[in-house]
Amino acid sequence: MIKVLFFGPVADRVQTREMDIDYTDGMTLHDVTHKVGMLHPGALSVVSFIAVNQQQVHDKQTPLRDGDEIAFMAKFSGG
Amino acid sequence: MTDPVRIQQEDFSQDAEIAALKASSKRMGGIATFLGCARDFSEGRDVSQISFEAYGSMALAEMRKLREEAISKFDLLDARIVHRVTTVQAGDNIVFIAAGAAHRAAAFDACRWMIDELKQRVPIWKKEVTPEGESWVTQHP
Repeated sequence: MIKVLFFGPVADRVQTREMDIDYTDGMTLHDVTHKVGMLHPGALSVVSFIAVNQQQVHDKQTPLRDGDEIAFMAKFSGG
Repeated sequence: MTDPVRIQQEDFSQDAEIAALKASSKRMGGIATFLGCARDFSEGRDVSQISFEAYGSMALAEMRKLREEAISKFDLLDARIVHRVTTVQAGDNIVFIAAGAAHRAAAFDACRWMIDELKQRVPIWKKEVTPEGESWVTQHP
């Protein structure tokens, strides 16, 4: 299972903070992004950063492992 | 002694943070601090509240990395970063950063660097509550 997290403006658009996606062999970050995009068209347009297991990832072809945690995040505005 | 890097709901004491920083070394000759607080006006609108949300585990890890990098980069003796994640009213404290060094220049530079980096790197978001409704803040002034 892949745990997908949404925060701030992204969570508002997806209308949830968390979702589970079944893991399949050979799955990549692109597969998860595509799936979320299909479920919530346009919701990821505000995403500026993606993290896999709390590490920012820029390559959509990053391979995933069962149990990974992916976060879709808008531009930060703390401070 | 409290952790030098924290995310918390409750307010913090600047005096307590500075005392903890000073307790770490007697060679500290300069301490620079930054206190971020909530404004009641933003982008031409009145702001009644600001609510914060964080990706807690990643935000804390990034803040710890930020502190370690600042200590190394500016040769600090110690540094502290505390960020509140809750709903605050105008005038309330949001974030506190302190940099302690042997001399003032490094403390000033490190303090500025840490708050600038925090805004760019730490996954925290703020939502402003205004009479016209709520809106997420996306810029980095």
